[in-house]
Amino acid sequence: MRDLRRTYGSGKQAFEAVRGVDLDVEAGTVSALLGTNGAGKTSTMELIEGLGRPSAGEVRVLGLDPVADRAAVRRRLGILLQRSGFSGDLSVLETLQMWHSTLSRPRPVADMLDALRLTGRADTRVVGLSGGEQRRLDLACTLMGDPDVVLLDEPTTGLDPESRRDVWSLIRGLRDGGTTVLLTTHYLDEAEALADELAIMHEGRIVRRGTVPQIVEGHPSVVRFTTPDRALPDLLGTATTERGLTVVETDDLQRTLTALLTWADGHGVRLADLSARTATLESVFLAVADQEGSTR
Amino acid sequence: MSTSTPSTTPPAAPDPSASSASSASSAPSDPSETTEPGRYAVSWRRVAGLARANVLLMTRNRLTLLYGLVLPLLPLLLLLTGERGDTAIGARAVTSALLTALLFPVYYNILSLVVSRRDELVLKRLRTGETRDSELVVALSLPGVVIAVVLSVLTLVVGLVGGLPTPANAPLYLLGMLVSSAMFVAFAFWTAAWTKTAESAQMTSLPVIALAVVGTMSAAFPERFAEIVERTPTGALRELVDVSWFGEDGARSVGFVDSWAAAGEPILVLLGWTAVAVWLAARSLRWEPRT
Repeated sequence: MRDLRRTYGSGKQAFEAVRGVDLDVEAGTVSALLGTNGAGKTSTMELIEGLGRPSAGEVRVLGLDPVADRAAVRRRLGILLQRSGFSGDLSVLETLQMWHSTLSRPRPVADMLDALRLTGRADTRVVGLSGGEQRRLDLACTLMGDPDVVLLDEPTTGLDPESRRDVWSLIRGLRDGGTTVLLTTHYLDEAEALADELAIMHEGRIVRRGTVPQIVEGHPSVVRFTTPDRALPDLLGTATTERGLTVVETDDLQRTLTALLTWADGHGVRLADLSARTATLESVFLAVADQEGSTR
Repeated sequence: MSTSTPSTTPPAAPDPSASSASSASSAPSDPSETTEPGRYAVSWRRVAGLARANVLLMTRNRLTLLYGLVLPLLPLLLLLTGERGDTAIGARAVTSALLTALLFPVYYNILSLVVSRRDELVLKRLRTGETRDSELVVALSLPGVVIAVVLSVLTLVVGLVGGLPTPANAPLYLLGMLVSSAMFVAFAFWTAAWTKTAESAQMTSLPVIALAVVGTMSAAFPERFAEIVERTPTGALRELVDVSWFGEDGARSVGFVDSWAAAGEPILVLLGWTAVAVWLAARSLRWEPRT
């Protein structure tokens, strides 16, 4: 399998949703595009899907141009839009049969009903499905063509926790089967749980990429406690005190904690509300989102 | 995998990575599936599957069923009750039957189908798959056009039963209906482009419907205006009915052979309007609601 590659220069439109994105997605992996609302995730996805043309730059899916080589690319691509629709008056079965007729190498409808736990709802009209069931129907269409590359735009937004877990295990199953998956999400836990590699997007640019350890690397761990009466020792980090709470940022959490706890023990100090945590995807993400005019 | 553009090289064998995973039942039966057709090529398997869904939807909506199938049958009653042997009355009845067949199953039905399915994001979803835009257009149009063609054949049969003369040139009559259907399909897609919701189609369809109705009433106008009215889409259709069915080219009577020549002008007028409608539709076509 080939990689999915895309690069653009900056667009020339007055509104630049995607401002020069370089992204390679390795075959057989799950990659997540993370970002706040309006970061340009969906715009980026639409370019990869071939629903829009880049104003500048280049997109390659399976080595092909998703617009110029549309037919060849689409045959091997499964797309899930952030919001999409089906006719409410058709049944689940009829909807899947219709979709089946449009594919070059479809999997049988019964298999898809089974895989998405919709067999019992086959004769139900789409209008009568729950949100989670509609999303599963949507996914059944995405996956029916047995795609090599799957693009999922916010696959679990608006789903209940159980449906979310269903979708997660489905995505893991795809990866185990050798499918390449690129998904967007604004759920950090989702990105962390699923993605081999992630990219954080902000204001039309990708500002961080890599695995979770790679992304959080270089970001300090944080120790917090209620400021004691005594003066603090050197804690090998930068300490700030605000409204009775001391926050220590450190690159070596273990040594900082050891110093702190040894000192407290020796002086009989009780550290109220003590907490310590390493840098998380969340703290990096929030730092990125706060940043103004971020750089690449 | 080569990175060359596949559109010029039809793959002789299916993609090896594809064959291992595809199911036995899914072997593409349509040659166009594997030969990488051009931009406007149409896979009939896809069109049939999509059109089937559109027909199902039409039968599930009582209102669509009413104006798409029942309403266009009513003018046929005029053909049975009209005075026998009066060709002017007969021509009027035939024209109104054809007009109804074009306006409701074709124009209004396709207009509301396109608008509602666009607003439900169904069209957007379908366009993420392998379906080409040309296939979507054909599948959306097919049920209405088939109904219109069946109705025009039915008009022939009922007209004969009702005592109208045998048509001078039945193929020409059907050709006129086919061209007119294509024209109203294009008008439907154009109107859909600036129709916000399925409800507002009741308003936005009025200009085209008014033009179509006025076009069939050239006799009601003074001669100077009648000439203009004859050059409207349905004015030309009415003229074509006179020539192809009743063998009347103005005051002159024409047979099968002469009718082709006599039909030249109305056919050209129809084709001209079709070209305009297609051009308007093509430049304004939208597949998803405005945000």
